[in-house]
Amino acid sequence: MTIEKETPPEVTVNASNLEGLAELGTIVAAAKDAMTDDMVSRLASAFSEGITLLDRLTRNDGLVHLLQELDRPENQHFLICLSNAFTAASRDIAIAPPAKGGVVGLCKLACKPGTQEGLRLVSLIGEHLSESMRELHRRGG
Amino acid sequence: MRILVVGGGTGGTIVANNLARRLAPEIRARKAWITMLSASDQHMYQPGLLYVAFGQMMPDELYRDQRSLLESCIDFQVDPVDEFQLDQNKVKTKSGKTHDYDVLVIATGSRTMSQKIPGLEEGAETFYTEKGAVKMFKKLRNFEGGKISIVVGVPHKCPIAPVEVTFSLHDYFKARGIRDKVEIKYNYPINRIHSIENVARWAKPEFDRMGIKCETLFNVEEVDVENKVVKSMEGSEDHYDLLISIPEHHGMEVIEKNELGQDGWIPTNRHQLTMEGHENVYVVGDTTNLPVSKTGSAAHFEAEVIAENIASIVKIGTPVTEYDGKVYCFIEAGHDKATYAMFNYQNPPDLQSPNKSMHWFKMSYNKMYWTSVRGLL
Repeated sequence: MTIEKETPPEVTVNASNLEGLAELGTIVAAAKDAMTDDMVSRLASAFSEGITLLDRLTRNDGLVHLLQELDRPENQHFLICLSNAFTAASRDIAIAPPAKGGVVGLCKLACKPGTQEGLRLVSLIGEHLSESMRELHRRGG
Repeated sequence: MRILVVGGGTGGTIVANNLARRLAPEIRARKAWITMLSASDQHMYQPGLLYVAFGQMMPDELYRDQRSLLESCIDFQVDPVDEFQLDQNKVKTKSGKTHDYDVLVIATGSRTMSQKIPGLEEGAETFYTEKGAVKMFKKLRNFEGGKISIVVGVPHKCPIAPVEVTFSLHDYFKARGIRDKVEIKYNYPINRIHSIENVARWAKPEFDRMGIKCETLFNVEEVDVENKVVKSMEGSEDHYDLLISIPEHHGMEVIEKNELGQDGWIPTNRHQLTMEGHENVYVVGDTTNLPVSKTGSAAHFEAEVIAENIASIVKIGTPVTEYDGKVYCFIEAGHDKATYAMFNYQNPPDLQSPNKSMHWFKMSYNKMYWTSVRGLL
Protein backbone atom coordinates (compact mmCIF):
# COMPACT_ATOMS: atom_id res chain seq x y z
CA MET A 1 0.00 0.00 0.00
CA THR A 2 1.40 3.36 -0.89
CA ILE A 3 0.64 6.46 1.06
CA GLU A 4 0.38 9.56 -0.99
CA LYS A 5 2.25 12.43 0.49
CA GLU A 6 -0.09 15.30 1.28
CA THR A 7 1.00 18.57 -0.17
CA PRO A 8 0.24 21.64 1.93
CA PRO A 9 -2.06 24.20 0.35
CA GLU A 10 -0.14 26.89 -1.42
CA VAL A 11 -0.07 30.14 0.50
CA THR A 12 0.17 33.10 -1.74
CA VAL A 13 0.96 36.53 -0.45
CA ASN A 14 0.29 39.12 -3.05
CA ALA A 15 0.52 42.88 -2.99
CA SER A 16 -3.15 43.41 -2.20
CA ASN A 17 -2.90 41.09 0.88
CA LEU A 18 0.04 43.08 2.17
CA GLU A 19 -1.72 46.32 1.44
CA GLY A 20 -4.75 45.09 3.40
CA LEU A 21 -2.58 44.12 6.37
CA ALA A 22 -0.83 47.48 6.28
CA GLU A 23 -4.21 49.22 6.22
CA LEU A 24 -5.39 47.17 9.18
CA GLY A 25 -2.20 48.03 11.05
CA THR A 26 -2.73 51.73 10.29
CA ILE A 27 -6.31 51.56 11.57
CA VAL A 28 -5.23 49.84 14.81
CA ALA A 29 -2.42 52.37 15.31
CA ALA A 30 -4.79 55.27 14.56
CA ALA A 31 -7.37 53.90 17.03
CA LYS A 32 -4.63 53.56 19.67
CA ASP A 33 -3.52 57.15 19.08
CA ALA A 34 -7.09 58.45 19.25
CA MET A 35 -7.98 56.62 22.46
CA THR A 36 -7.18 57.85 25.94
CA ASP A 37 -7.11 56.09 29.31
CA ASP A 38 -10.40 57.79 30.18
CA MET A 39 -12.09 56.52 27.03
CA VAL A 40 -10.89 52.99 27.70
CA SER A 41 -12.13 53.24 31.31
CA ARG A 42 -15.54 54.53 30.23
CA LEU A 43 -15.95 51.80 27.62
CA ALA A 44 -14.90 49.13 30.10
CA SER A 45 -17.27 50.57 32.69
CA ALA A 46 -20.20 50.49 30.24
CA PHE A 47 -19.32 46.94 29.23
CA SER A 48 -19.02 45.87 32.86
CA GLU A 49 -22.38 47.37 33.87
CA GLY A 50 -24.02 46.12 30.66
CA ILE A 51 -22.89 42.56 31.14
CA THR A 52 -23.99 42.64 34.80
CA LEU A 53 -27.43 43.85 33.77
CA LEU A 54 -27.67 41.22 31.05
CA ASP A 55 -26.64 38.53 33.52
CA ARG A 56 -29.29 39.62 36.02
CA LEU A 57 -31.97 39.74 33.33
CA THR A 58 -31.16 36.35 31.81
CA ARG A 59 -31.08 34.59 35.18
CA ASN A 60 -34.36 36.12 36.31
CA ASP A 61 -37.04 33.39 35.95
CA GLY A 62 -39.84 35.86 36.69
CA LEU A 63 -38.73 38.16 33.90
CA VAL A 64 -38.52 35.31 31.41
CA HIS A 65 -42.07 34.27 32.37
CA LEU A 66 -43.22 37.87 32.01
CA LEU A 67 -41.72 38.08 28.52
CA GLN A 68 -43.54 34.86 27.56
CA GLU A 69 -46.80 36.41 28.79
CA LEU A 70 -46.07 39.54 26.79
CA ASP A 71 -45.81 37.39 23.65
CA ARG A 72 -49.56 36.70 23.85
CA PRO A 73 -51.55 39.14 21.64
CA GLU A 74 -54.33 39.61 24.23
CA ASN A 75 -51.76 40.78 26.81
CA GLN A 76 -50.20 43.16 24.31
CA HIS A 77 -53.69 44.42 23.48
CA PHE A 78 -54.46 44.84 27.18
CA LEU A 79 -51.29 46.88 27.75
CA ILE A 80 -52.10 49.09 24.75
CA CYS A 81 -55.65 49.63 26.11
CA LEU A 82 -54.24 50.40 29.56
CA SER A 83 -51.83 52.91 28.10
CA ASN A 84 -54.61 54.55 26.05
CA ALA A 85 -56.86 54.66 29.12
CA PHE A 86 -54.15 56.40 31.15
CA THR A 87 -53.61 58.94 28.39
CA ALA A 88 -57.35 59.69 28.11
CA ALA A 89 -57.81 59.82 31.91
CA SER A 90 -54.87 62.17 32.20
CA ARG A 91 -56.45 64.53 29.62
CA ASP A 92 -59.91 64.32 31.29
CA ILE A 93 -58.54 65.01 34.76
CA ALA A 94 -56.71 68.08 33.50
CA ILE A 95 -59.93 69.78 32.42
CA ALA A 96 -62.34 68.39 35.06
CA PRO A 97 -63.20 70.77 37.94
CA PRO A 98 -62.08 69.66 41.41
CA ALA A 99 -64.53 67.25 43.10
CA LYS A 100 -66.83 69.00 45.59
CA GLY A 101 -67.10 65.99 47.88
CA GLY A 102 -70.22 64.74 49.64
CA VAL A 103 -72.58 61.84 49.11
CA VAL A 104 -74.51 63.56 46.27
CA GLY A 105 -71.39 63.84 44.13
CA LEU A 106 -70.54 60.23 44.83
CA CYS A 107 -74.08 59.11 43.86
CA LYS A 108 -73.91 61.12 40.62
CA LEU A 109 -70.59 59.47 39.74
CA ALA A 110 -71.88 56.03 40.64
CA CYS A 111 -74.91 56.53 38.39
CA LYS A 112 -72.78 57.11 35.28
CA PRO A 113 -72.68 54.01 33.03
CA GLY A 114 -68.95 54.49 32.44
CA THR A 115 -68.21 54.35 36.19
CA GLN A 116 -70.29 51.22 36.55
CA GLU A 117 -68.50 49.52 33.67
CA GLY A 118 -65.17 50.56 35.13
CA LEU A 119 -66.04 49.16 38.55
CA ARG A 120 -67.20 45.93 36.95
CA LEU A 121 -63.88 45.62 35.07
CA VAL A 122 -61.83 46.35 38.22
CA SER A 123 -63.81 43.81 40.22
CA LEU A 124 -63.37 41.16 37.52
CA ILE A 125 -59.63 41.83 37.36
CA GLY A 126 -59.47 41.59 41.17
CA GLU A 127 -61.25 38.24 41.09
CA HIS A 128 -58.85 36.75 38.52
CA LEU A 129 -55.81 38.36 40.15
CA SER A 130 -56.55 36.82 43.54
CA GLU A 131 -57.09 33.40 41.91
CA SER A 132 -53.81 33.73 40.02
CA MET A 133 -51.89 34.81 43.14
CA ARG A 134 -53.32 31.87 45.09
CA GLU A 135 -52.13 29.54 42.32
CA LEU A 136 -48.69 31.15 42.30
CA HIS A 137 -48.26 30.61 46.04
CA ARG A 138 -49.54 27.03 45.71
CA ARG A 139 -46.69 26.38 43.21
CA GLY A 140 -44.16 27.85 45.63
CA GLY A 141 -43.53 31.08 43.66
CA MET B 1 -26.08 23.22 54.61
CA ARG B 2 -25.31 26.53 56.33
CA ILE B 3 -22.39 28.30 54.65
CA LEU B 4 -20.89 31.21 56.52
CA VAL B 5 -18.47 33.61 54.80
CA VAL B 6 -16.51 35.84 57.16
CA GLY B 7 -15.17 38.90 55.33
CA GLY B 8 -16.52 40.86 52.38
CA GLY B 9 -13.35 41.61 50.40
CA THR B 10 -12.46 40.22 46.99
CA GLY B 11 -12.09 36.58 48.09
CA GLY B 12 -15.16 36.43 50.34
CA THR B 13 -17.41 38.17 47.82
CA ILE B 14 -16.38 35.94 44.91
CA VAL B 15 -16.83 32.77 47.01
CA ALA B 16 -20.31 33.88 48.14
CA ASN B 17 -21.51 34.96 44.68
CA ASN B 18 -20.04 31.94 42.93
CA LEU B 19 -21.70 29.64 45.48
CA ALA B 20 -25.02 31.44 45.13
CA ARG B 21 -24.92 30.77 41.37
CA ARG B 22 -23.87 27.14 41.72
CA LEU B 23 -26.29 26.37 44.55
CA ALA B 24 -29.32 28.28 43.20
CA PRO B 25 -31.60 25.18 43.16
CA GLU B 26 -30.56 24.14 46.69
CA ILE B 27 -31.06 27.70 47.99
CA ARG B 28 -34.53 27.87 46.39
CA ALA B 29 -35.41 24.50 47.94
CA ARG B 30 -34.15 25.80 51.31
CA LYS B 31 -31.46 23.13 51.51
CA ALA B 32 -28.57 25.63 51.53
CA TRP B 33 -28.11 29.05 53.08
CA ILE B 34 -25.30 31.56 52.55
CA THR B 35 -24.56 34.24 55.14
CA MET B 36 -21.82 36.84 54.90
CA LEU B 37 -20.50 38.74 57.92
CA SER B 38 -18.39 41.79 57.16
CA ALA B 39 -16.84 44.71 58.99
CA SER B 40 -18.13 47.24 56.44
CA ASP B 41 -21.10 47.88 54.17
CA GLN B 42 -18.66 49.26 51.58
CA HIS B 43 -16.41 47.29 49.21
CA MET B 44 -13.14 48.86 48.18
CA TYR B 45 -11.13 48.11 45.03
CA GLN B 46 -7.73 48.21 46.72
CA PRO B 47 -5.48 48.11 43.61
CA GLY B 48 -7.02 51.45 42.60
CA LEU B 49 -5.23 53.17 45.49
CA LEU B 50 -1.99 53.29 43.45
CA TYR B 51 -3.84 55.32 40.79
CA VAL B 52 -5.25 57.64 43.48
CA ALA B 53 -1.69 58.27 44.70
CA PHE B 54 -0.80 59.53 41.21
CA GLY B 55 -4.02 61.49 40.58
CA GLN B 56 -5.22 59.02 37.93
CA MET B 57 -8.35 57.95 39.83
CA MET B 58 -10.59 59.66 42.37
CA PRO B 59 -11.21 57.84 45.69
CA ASP B 60 -14.98 57.58 45.15
CA GLU B 61 -14.35 55.43 42.05
CA LEU B 62 -12.96 52.72 44.33
CA TYR B 63 -16.11 52.03 46.35
CA ARG B 64 -19.40 50.19 45.85
CA ASP B 65 -22.11 49.19 48.32
CA GLN B 66 -21.27 45.63 49.31
CA ARG B 67 -24.94 44.60 49.16
CA SER B 68 -25.17 45.77 45.52
CA LEU B 69 -22.37 43.33 44.61
CA LEU B 70 -23.97 40.29 46.22
CA GLU B 71 -26.56 37.88 44.83
CA SER B 72 -29.92 38.66 46.42
CA CYS B 73 -30.15 35.25 48.14
CA ILE B 74 -27.06 35.97 50.27
CA ASP B 75 -27.87 37.11 53.80
CA PHE B 76 -25.43 40.00 54.28
CA GLN B 77 -24.81 41.43 57.76
CA VAL B 78 -22.42 44.16 58.84
CA ASP B 79 -21.28 42.57 62.06
CA PRO B 80 -17.60 41.53 62.21
CA VAL B 81 -16.62 38.29 63.89
CA ASP B 82 -14.95 38.54 67.26
CA GLU B 83 -14.61 34.89 68.29
CA PHE B 84 -14.09 31.75 66.22
CA GLN B 85 -15.30 28.60 68.07
CA LEU B 86 -14.14 26.12 65.42
CA ASP B 87 -14.59 23.02 67.60
CA GLN B 88 -18.28 23.90 67.99
CA ASN B 89 -18.82 25.16 64.41
CA LYS B 90 -19.77 28.60 65.71
CA VAL B 91 -18.63 32.19 65.49
CA LYS B 92 -19.55 35.06 67.77
CA THR B 93 -19.81 38.58 66.39
CA LYS B 94 -19.05 42.01 67.85
CA SER B 95 -22.77 42.60 68.43
CA GLY B 96 -22.88 39.43 70.57
CA LYS B 97 -24.78 37.26 68.06
CA THR B 98 -23.76 33.64 67.53
CA HIS B 99 -23.81 32.06 64.05
CA ASP B 100 -23.71 28.29 63.57
CA TYR B 101 -22.32 26.89 60.34
CA ASP B 102 -21.66 23.64 58.50
CA VAL B 103 -19.00 25.21 56.27
CA LEU B 104 -16.98 28.30 57.17
CA VAL B 105 -14.99 30.47 54.76
CA ILE B 106 -12.49 32.83 56.40
CA ALA B 107 -11.68 35.82 54.20
CA THR B 108 -10.71 38.50 56.67
CA GLY B 109 -7.77 39.94 54.69
CA SER B 110 -4.70 41.69 56.03
CA ARG B 111 -3.55 45.00 57.55
CA THR B 112 -0.42 47.10 57.17
CA MET B 113 2.02 47.24 60.07
CA SER B 114 3.92 50.53 59.57
CA GLN B 115 3.79 51.09 63.32
CA LYS B 116 6.27 48.21 63.86
CA ILE B 117 9.15 50.37 62.62
CA PRO B 118 9.98 53.50 64.63
CA GLY B 119 9.34 56.65 62.62
CA LEU B 120 7.94 54.90 59.53
CA GLU B 121 4.30 55.84 60.07
CA GLU B 122 5.09 59.52 60.65
CA GLY B 123 7.95 59.82 58.17
CA ALA B 124 6.82 57.90 55.10
CA GLU B 125 4.09 58.27 52.51
CA THR B 126 2.14 55.18 51.61
CA PHE B 127 -0.88 54.38 49.45
CA TYR B 128 -2.54 51.48 51.25
CA THR B 129 -5.46 53.55 52.57
CA GLU B 130 -7.61 56.18 50.87
CA LYS B 131 -6.33 58.87 53.23
CA GLY B 132 -2.70 57.81 52.68
CA ALA B 133 -3.04 57.70 48.88
CA VAL B 134 -4.59 61.21 48.71
CA LYS B 135 -1.90 62.55 51.05
CA MET B 136 0.82 60.95 48.92
CA PHE B 137 -0.60 62.52 45.76
CA LYS B 138 -0.60 65.98 47.38
CA LYS B 139 3.02 65.49 48.47
CA LEU B 140 4.03 64.40 44.95
CA ARG B 141 2.18 67.32 43.42
CA ASN B 142 4.02 69.79 45.62
CA PHE B 143 7.40 68.11 45.12
CA GLU B 144 9.62 70.34 43.02
CA GLY B 145 12.86 68.38 43.20
CA GLY B 146 15.13 66.38 45.49
CA LYS B 147 15.55 62.77 46.46
CA ILE B 148 12.74 60.22 46.77
CA SER B 149 13.54 56.97 48.55
CA ILE B 150 11.40 53.87 48.33
CA VAL B 151 11.56 51.31 51.14
CA VAL B 152 9.91 47.89 51.27
CA GLY B 153 8.74 45.82 54.25
CA VAL B 154 8.57 42.01 54.34
CA PRO B 155 6.09 40.48 53.72
CA HIS B 156 4.02 43.06 51.85
CA LYS B 157 0.74 43.15 49.95
CA CYS B 158 1.05 42.69 46.18
CA PRO B 159 4.68 41.83 45.39
CA ILE B 160 4.64 43.94 42.23
CA ALA B 161 3.77 47.18 44.08
CA PRO B 162 7.40 48.34 44.72
CA VAL B 163 8.37 48.24 41.03
CA GLU B 164 5.02 49.69 39.91
CA VAL B 165 5.29 52.69 42.21
CA THR B 166 8.89 53.25 41.08
CA PHE B 167 7.98 53.20 37.36
CA SER B 168 5.01 55.46 38.06
CA LEU B 169 7.23 57.98 39.92
CA HIS B 170 9.57 58.13 36.92
CA ASP B 171 6.70 58.77 34.48
CA TYR B 172 4.93 61.21 36.81
CA PHE B 173 7.92 63.53 37.13
CA LYS B 174 8.79 63.08 33.44
CA ALA B 175 5.27 64.26 32.55
CA ARG B 176 5.71 67.27 34.85
CA GLY B 177 9.00 68.08 33.11
CA ILE B 178 11.12 67.90 36.28
CA ARG B 179 12.47 64.33 36.10
CA ASP B 180 16.02 65.73 35.89
CA LYS B 181 15.51 67.45 39.27
CA VAL B 182 14.28 64.26 40.99
CA GLU B 183 16.54 61.46 42.18
CA ILE B 184 14.72 58.15 42.69
CA LYS B 185 16.32 55.56 44.96
CA TYR B 186 14.85 52.06 45.25
CA ASN B 187 15.75 50.06 48.37
CA TYR B 188 14.84 46.37 48.48
CA PRO B 189 15.22 43.91 51.38
CA ILE B 190 16.77 40.90 49.59
CA ASN B 191 19.90 40.59 47.43
CA ARG B 192 18.20 41.35 44.10
CA ILE B 193 15.65 43.99 43.17
CA HIS B 194 12.60 41.74 43.32
CA SER B 195 11.65 38.54 45.12
CA ILE B 196 10.44 36.97 41.83
CA GLU B 197 13.63 36.30 39.87
CA ASN B 198 12.17 36.91 36.41
CA VAL B 199 10.65 40.21 37.55
CA ALA B 200 14.04 41.26 38.95
CA ARG B 201 15.75 40.29 35.68
CA TRP B 202 13.23 42.33 33.67
CA ALA B 203 13.06 45.37 35.96
CA LYS B 204 16.80 45.94 36.53
CA PRO B 205 17.67 47.13 32.98
CA GLU B 206 14.48 49.21 32.96
CA PHE B 207 15.56 50.90 36.20
CA ASP B 208 19.04 51.48 34.74
CA ARG B 209 17.54 53.00 31.60
CA MET B 210 15.38 55.33 33.70
CA GLY B 211 18.28 56.37 35.92
CA ILE B 212 16.77 54.83 39.06
CA LYS B 213 19.35 53.97 41.70
CA CYS B 214 19.01 50.67 43.57
CA GLU B 215 20.23 49.32 46.88
CA THR B 216 19.55 45.70 47.83
CA LEU B 217 19.71 44.05 51.27
CA PHE B 218 18.07 47.10 52.77
CA ASN B 219 15.71 46.12 55.62
CA VAL B 220 14.36 49.19 57.36
CA GLU B 221 15.24 49.44 61.05
CA GLU B 222 14.08 52.96 61.81
CA VAL B 223 13.28 56.32 60.28
CA ASP B 224 14.81 59.49 61.70
CA VAL B 225 11.95 61.80 60.73
CA GLU B 226 13.64 64.99 61.92
CA ASN B 227 16.83 64.50 59.92
CA LYS B 228 15.08 62.70 57.05
CA VAL B 229 17.24 59.60 57.22
CA VAL B 230 16.12 55.98 56.89
CA LYS B 231 18.43 53.41 58.52
CA SER B 232 18.69 49.76 57.55
CA MET B 233 19.33 46.72 59.75
CA GLU B 234 22.36 46.07 57.53
CA GLY B 235 23.90 49.35 58.75
CA SER B 236 23.42 51.65 55.77
CA GLU B 237 21.68 55.03 55.84
CA ASP B 238 19.67 56.74 53.15
CA HIS B 239 18.96 60.48 53.21
CA TYR B 240 15.69 61.49 51.55
CA ASP B 241 13.45 64.46 50.84
CA LEU B 242 10.39 62.27 50.38
CA LEU B 243 10.11 58.71 51.68
CA ILE B 244 7.66 56.23 50.17
CA SER B 245 7.00 53.00 52.00
CA ILE B 246 5.54 49.66 50.94
CA PRO B 247 4.83 48.54 54.50
CA GLU B 248 4.97 45.10 56.02
CA HIS B 249 1.56 43.50 56.48
CA HIS B 250 0.02 40.88 58.76
CA GLY B 251 -3.25 38.97 58.80
CA MET B 252 -6.10 40.56 60.74
CA GLU B 253 -5.97 41.01 64.49
CA VAL B 254 -9.02 38.79 65.06
CA ILE B 255 -7.09 35.83 63.58
CA GLU B 256 -4.13 36.43 65.90
CA LYS B 257 -6.41 37.00 68.91
CA ASN B 258 -8.19 33.69 68.29
CA GLU B 259 -4.82 31.95 67.81
CA LEU B 260 -5.74 30.68 64.35
CA GLY B 261 -2.33 31.49 62.89
CA GLN B 262 0.95 33.25 63.57
CA ASP B 263 0.94 36.93 62.52
CA GLY B 264 -2.66 36.46 61.41
CA TRP B 265 -1.85 33.99 58.59
CA ILE B 266 -3.90 30.81 58.84
CA PRO B 267 -2.09 27.53 58.06
CA THR B 268 -3.83 26.43 54.86
CA ASN B 269 -3.71 23.29 52.73
CA ARG B 270 -2.09 24.56 49.51
CA HIS B 271 -4.34 22.55 47.17
CA GLN B 272 -7.65 22.11 49.03
CA LEU B 273 -7.48 25.58 50.66
CA THR B 274 -8.90 24.16 53.89
CA MET B 275 -7.51 25.22 57.25
CA GLU B 276 -5.02 22.64 58.51
CA GLY B 277 -6.90 20.32 60.89
CA HIS B 278 -10.37 21.63 59.97
CA GLU B 279 -11.91 20.12 56.84
CA ASN B 280 -15.03 22.29 56.93
CA VAL B 281 -13.08 25.56 57.25
CA TYR B 282 -11.79 27.19 54.05
CA VAL B 283 -9.32 30.07 53.91
CA VAL B 284 -9.05 32.52 51.02
CA GLY B 285 -6.93 35.47 49.90
CA ASP B 286 -4.62 37.42 52.17
CA THR B 287 -5.74 35.32 55.18
CA THR B 288 -3.86 32.18 54.04
CA ASN B 289 -0.23 31.37 54.79
CA LEU B 290 0.27 30.11 51.21
CA PRO B 291 3.50 30.88 49.36
CA VAL B 292 1.67 32.90 46.70
CA SER B 293 1.19 36.63 46.22
CA LYS B 294 -1.26 38.41 48.50
CA THR B 295 -3.24 39.91 45.65
CA GLY B 296 -6.82 40.16 44.49
CA SER B 297 -5.88 37.86 41.62
CA ALA B 298 -4.71 35.05 43.94
CA ALA B 299 -7.86 35.55 46.05
CA HIS B 300 -9.96 35.32 42.88
CA PHE B 301 -8.48 32.01 41.66
CA GLU B 302 -8.60 30.55 45.18
CA ALA B 303 -12.22 31.66 45.60
CA GLU B 304 -13.27 29.87 42.39
CA VAL B 305 -11.74 26.61 43.64
CA ILE B 306 -13.33 26.96 47.08
CA ALA B 307 -16.79 27.70 45.65
CA GLU B 308 -16.59 24.80 43.19
CA ASN B 309 -15.57 22.40 45.95
CA ILE B 310 -18.17 23.53 48.49
CA ALA B 311 -20.88 23.30 45.81
CA SER B 312 -19.74 19.81 44.80
CA ILE B 313 -19.71 18.72 48.44
CA VAL B 314 -23.32 19.91 48.73
CA LYS B 315 -24.32 18.17 45.49
CA ILE B 316 -22.29 14.93 45.43
CA GLY B 317 -20.56 14.84 48.80
CA THR B 318 -16.95 15.33 47.65
CA PRO B 319 -14.62 18.09 46.41
CA VAL B 320 -13.75 17.99 42.71
CA THR B 321 -10.84 20.35 42.11
CA GLU B 322 -7.60 21.72 43.54
CA TYR B 323 -5.80 25.08 43.59
CA ASP B 324 -2.57 25.04 41.57
CA GLY B 325 -1.21 28.31 42.93
CA LYS B 326 -2.32 30.36 39.92
CA VAL B 327 -1.75 34.11 40.09
CA TYR B 328 -2.12 36.65 37.28
CA CYS B 329 -0.62 40.05 38.02
CA PHE B 330 -0.79 43.15 35.87
CA ILE B 331 2.42 45.17 36.10
CA GLU B 332 2.10 48.86 35.31
CA ALA B 333 5.46 49.86 33.84
CA GLY B 334 4.73 53.58 34.04
CA HIS B 335 1.72 55.64 33.06
CA ASP B 336 1.11 54.32 29.55
CA LYS B 337 2.42 50.80 29.30
CA ALA B 338 2.11 47.57 31.22
CA THR B 339 2.89 43.89 31.14
CA TYR B 340 1.75 40.91 33.20
CA ALA B 341 3.09 38.00 35.16
CA MET B 342 1.28 34.67 35.35
CA PHE B 343 2.61 31.90 37.52
CA ASN B 344 1.65 28.99 39.76
CA TYR B 345 3.28 26.61 42.24
CA GLN B 346 5.19 24.87 39.43
CA ASN B 347 5.94 27.56 36.86
CA PRO B 348 7.63 30.93 37.43
CA PRO B 349 6.36 33.94 35.47
CA ASP B 350 7.69 34.68 32.01
CA LEU B 351 7.43 38.43 31.44
CA GLN B 352 6.72 40.01 28.05
CA SER B 353 7.74 43.51 26.99
CA PRO B 354 5.39 46.18 28.33
CA ASN B 355 3.01 47.78 25.82
CA LYS B 356 0.06 50.15 25.67
CA SER B 357 -2.52 47.43 24.99
CA MET B 358 -1.69 45.72 28.31
CA HIS B 359 -1.97 49.09 30.05
CA TRP B 360 -5.45 49.47 28.61
CA PHE B 361 -6.28 45.92 29.62
CA LYS B 362 -5.38 46.94 33.18
CA MET B 363 -7.37 50.19 32.91
CA SER B 364 -10.32 48.13 31.67
CA TYR B 365 -9.92 45.62 34.47
CA ASN B 366 -10.06 48.49 36.98
CA LYS B 367 -13.67 48.96 35.82
CA MET B 368 -14.49 45.33 35.14
CA TYR B 369 -13.43 44.37 38.67
CA TRP B 370 -17.04 44.88 39.72
CA THR B 371 -18.16 42.29 37.19
CA SER B 372 -15.45 40.02 38.47
CA VAL B 373 -16.45 40.15 42.16
CA ARG B 374 -20.06 39.56 41.19
CA GLY B 375 -18.83 36.16 40.02
CA LEU B 376 -19.26 36.82 36.30
CA LEU B 377 -15.68 37.05 35.03
